[in-house]
Amino acid sequence: MTRLDRYTCEEVFRRLDDYLDRELTETEMALVQAHLETCAVCAREHDFEASVIRQVKTKLRRVSAPPDLLARISSALATTEAE
Amino acid sequence: MNRTDQREYEALLAPLLSSVFGTALRLTRNRDDAEDLVQEAAVRAFKAFATFQKGTNFKAWFFRILTNLFYERHRRAQREPVRTDLEDAADLYLYGQSEALGLRARAEDPAELVMGKLTEEDIGRAIESLPDEYRLVATLYFMEEFAYEEIADIVHCPIGTVRSRLHRSRKMLQKALWSVAVEQGVVAELQPSGEGQQKGNA
Repeated sequence: MTRLDRYTCEEVFRRLDDYLDRELTETEMALVQAHLETCAVCAREHDFEASVIRQVKTKLRRVSAPPDLLARISSALATTEAE
Repeated sequence: MNRTDQREYEALLAPLLSSVFGTALRLTRNRDDAEDLVQEAAVRAFKAFATFQKGTNFKAWFFRILTNLFYERHRRAQREPVRTDLEDAADLYLYGQSEALGLRARAEDPAELVMGKLTEEDIGRAIESLPDEYRLVATLYFMEEFAYEEIADIVHCPIGTVRSRLHRSRKMLQKALWSVAVEQGVVAELQPSGEGQQKGNA
């Protein structure tokens, strides 16, 4: 990869969310990754954001539906007419 | 619809129920309303089950119905005041605060120092403080791992709108998380000296 092929810090910063969510093209993903491998500041920002996202996701998902909810839905459906 | 249809429908819905309820809880902000929303969405989706194309994404289809119902109900409900202090959240808000506290020198994963001390309730409270349109995309993203395209389909807006709302909602969420961390005394604990100075001063 030549110098011209590399993203600047600003270009990486603009794409950071999309990179974390794997919503970039394959080429863009590779360019961001190449930058992160050589720029300690951007790599720190990336790692911090990735950690926050991971922890928010993990903790938010620890929710269980009330145990009788499916049974209540089931009996509501039994008396429901399809449209 | 017959009993076979109902069994087939429930078999698709049952594994999603906790995640559907979790999303409804973040949207409505209380358990009773969340249960009502899920139950009503389940009945509405069942009535429309004949229009669901088998083999396609049942989860996205169901969440679209749940989201529509939430909006219909919410439009009728009285609007709550929006926390305008979140509107001006800077990029990488938590990272900036963590750098200011010097957390990088104290742990390999400085985010964990703050986030690890926040409970599920703390994080739920932070996400619930976001304005509706941002709370919705953030919930679908953080709880359900929907791709941008799926979120766009569920909330009926262009993918570019999802991308920008998600970007803003992340910034707002980070500021809200910091605010919760201050309230809970987490930030005071992490102060290198002068403990307690920031408590209650988000």
